[in-house]
Amino acid sequence: MGIMQILHMNKGEGESSYAKNSTVQKQIITVASSILEKSVLDSVHKTHPKSMGIADLGCSSGPNTLTVISKIINTIYAASYQMPELRISLNDLPENDFNSVFISLPDFYSNLKKEKGIGVDECFIFGVAGSFYGRLFPKNSLHFVHSSSSLHWLSQVPPALDKNSGKHLNKGKIYISKTSPDCVLKAYLYQFQKDFFDFMRSRADEMVAGGGMLLSFMGRSSSDASAEVGCHQWELLAQALMSMVPEGLVQEEEIDSLNAPYYAPSPEEVRNIIQEEGSFLINHLEAFEISWEGGNACDKHDYDDLEKLSRGQQVAKTIRAVVEPMLVSHFGREIMDELFTRFGNLVDVYFSNTKAKHINLVISVTRKD
Amino acid sequence: MDIEKVFHMKGGLGDTSYSKNSSLQKRAADKVKHITIETMEEMFLATRPKSLGIADLGCSSGPNTLSNIKQLVDAVENASRSIAQPPPEFRVYLNDLPTNDFNTIFQALPDLYRELKKGKNHGGPPIYIAGYPGTFYGRLFPDDCLHFIYSSNSLHWLSRVPPGVSNINKKSIYISERSPAQVSQAYLKQFQEDFSLFLKSRSQELVGGGRMVLILLGRSGPSHVDRGNSFFWEILYQSLATLGEIEEEKLDSYDVHFYAPSKEELEDEVRKEGSFKVEKVEMFEMEKDAGNYPSYGMAVAKTVRSIQESMIAHHFGEAILDKVFDIYGRLVDQELAKDDIKSITTLLVLTKLL
Repeated sequence: MGIMQILHMNKGEGESSYAKNSTVQKQIITVASSILEKSVLDSVHKTHPKSMGIADLGCSSGPNTLTVISKIINTIYAASYQMPELRISLNDLPENDFNSVFISLPDFYSNLKKEKGIGVDECFIFGVAGSFYGRLFPKNSLHFVHSSSSLHWLSQVPPALDKNSGKHLNKGKIYISKTSPDCVLKAYLYQFQKDFFDFMRSRADEMVAGGGMLLSFMGRSSSDASAEVGCHQWELLAQALMSMVPEGLVQEEEIDSLNAPYYAPSPEEVRNIIQEEGSFLINHLEAFEISWEGGNACDKHDYDDLEKLSRGQQVAKTIRAVVEPMLVSHFGREIMDELFTRFGNLVDVYFSNTKAKHINLVISVTRKD
Repeated sequence: MDIEKVFHMKGGLGDTSYSKNSSLQKRAADKVKHITIETMEEMFLATRPKSLGIADLGCSSGPNTLSNIKQLVDAVENASRSIAQPPPEFRVYLNDLPTNDFNTIFQALPDLYRELKKGKNHGGPPIYIAGYPGTFYGRLFPDDCLHFIYSSNSLHWLSRVPPGVSNINKKSIYISERSPAQVSQAYLKQFQEDFSLFLKSRSQELVGGGRMVLILLGRSGPSHVDRGNSFFWEILYQSLATLGEIEEEKLDSYDVHFYAPSKEELEDEVRKEGSFKVEKVEMFEMEKDAGNYPSYGMAVAKTVRSIQESMIAHHFGEAILDKVFDIYGRLVDQELAKDDIKSITTLLVLTKLL
């Protein structure tokens, strides 16, 4: 199965859905709020659009999707004497659950009308299914682009590491690790460089001069790609999988042949590609620390308090919502509950002696003339 | 009850889905394909846009949706070749209500893109396809954004059941011989409101010289009580009544948000709205083909189920669905054995005046 078919978040609104388990991604959006606002305002002031093309790339589904769009619309509304017409495209891969986003649109539109007097003939929201590692929109049609928690997903597993490559270069691991040979790090870096370049080049064609782009995705601060911050959630997931091998629940070969289509770049690696592509000016590049638990640990119990899930189990839910479709296609559905229970336990142990953090990179750029 | 939140064709790819049960609709569209393609070519040659906007209003979900796109794109590419010009960029908007199963369409897109690029220089012209949820009874798109609008088997669906009808139309679910006179008046009024709003909205979205090809169910004479499309609703009513499991009050209060206009009713609204010229209006009857089904009745039953399931389930619950459509299929066959039932389809081609 190609990436296009398996890389999607858990659908619907159930217990293990992305919709119910995307608080970390929500926190990431919140933390970048003021940079987003500035980036949107800059693009309005530089391009003075009468009709403004806006795109959210990797929109997924769930409450965060329309929250981001709201933030963008609110910023434009507050800054504009006369609102431009808004053409908003929500993009994700074809397997994304667009239906659940669309079903919330009628209420979204009526709130817009009620709160800001913005009518259906002034704000148009479309769904665009396809990979952002290529052209999605007509030339010069976009004034503002947003992408959050998406660009750490590569277009494919690096070919040398793909399960069909016949070689198992990254034994016992599913991402870059301290035990990974150099060729694994090189393969991942190369794939990221190619993908991110394609992303920037495509956006360069689609954006007008002066247009703004706000990108937010997982990264790392160390120059060493195998440093703990940036890899450790995959490390623990691999450990959980490996622990199931002696019991015959999982074959070691299955783990050896799986590598995540993911990369957490350093700020330098990002900057290099942007400069190489050449069409964008970097306004801001910042690395934020985000706890593995998203916002405050205490505001998480909005569903089953009686269950009293441990912190590790709660984190396991958020990771599960994201990686389950990919793991199911590789290992089958039967082992998922057990896998994530074990993963949650490993996270609890990790929490007991570390303040577990992700690094999230936020980059604001402007399309040059 | 908000139609926008309940009404949709049955999604997915399963046995009772619209995807698997829309061959009747496909045949209707195929019958006039040559006119659709001709209209597209004429429009292109008249307007010669660099960036061509196409909208399918009421695109639903299933193989018909995407095969339409390919035909339209091919038509324009041929036309542009005939004048030795490069083809335009295509912006394709697939519109339906927010409850439509867009996921199934999107999942089929990678294959469509591959097919569109096959064998063409540099992969052919750029084609951007977007899904656009919303009701076409009102504005959907920015001004002057479209050159060609296609709508097949959608405009006979009203924005709502005409107000008051569910209280007075007791022993019917549409206009029947038992309906009081006010019922058909109410339905006509709702159609007029809806269709005129449709035209007004499209008028601002279409460029001058742009074309619309509209295909919808209709009726040939002034009376609704005939053995045409309204008769299929009569049979559905009889199927529900025969079940014996439904409370009388529930059945009395169920009515469909449907209207089969006559040629005159369509042309009247176009004339009143004033932005469009009627290029063509044709009515035709589809041949009765059972396809892969044991009988035509069963073919119709499966088709109607995939269309009506959301509304019937919402009003009566899901449990009765299998039985109702079983009875329905048999009643259709019984009626056909007695006398013909003619389902009329109308084709309307309009040009936006400059």
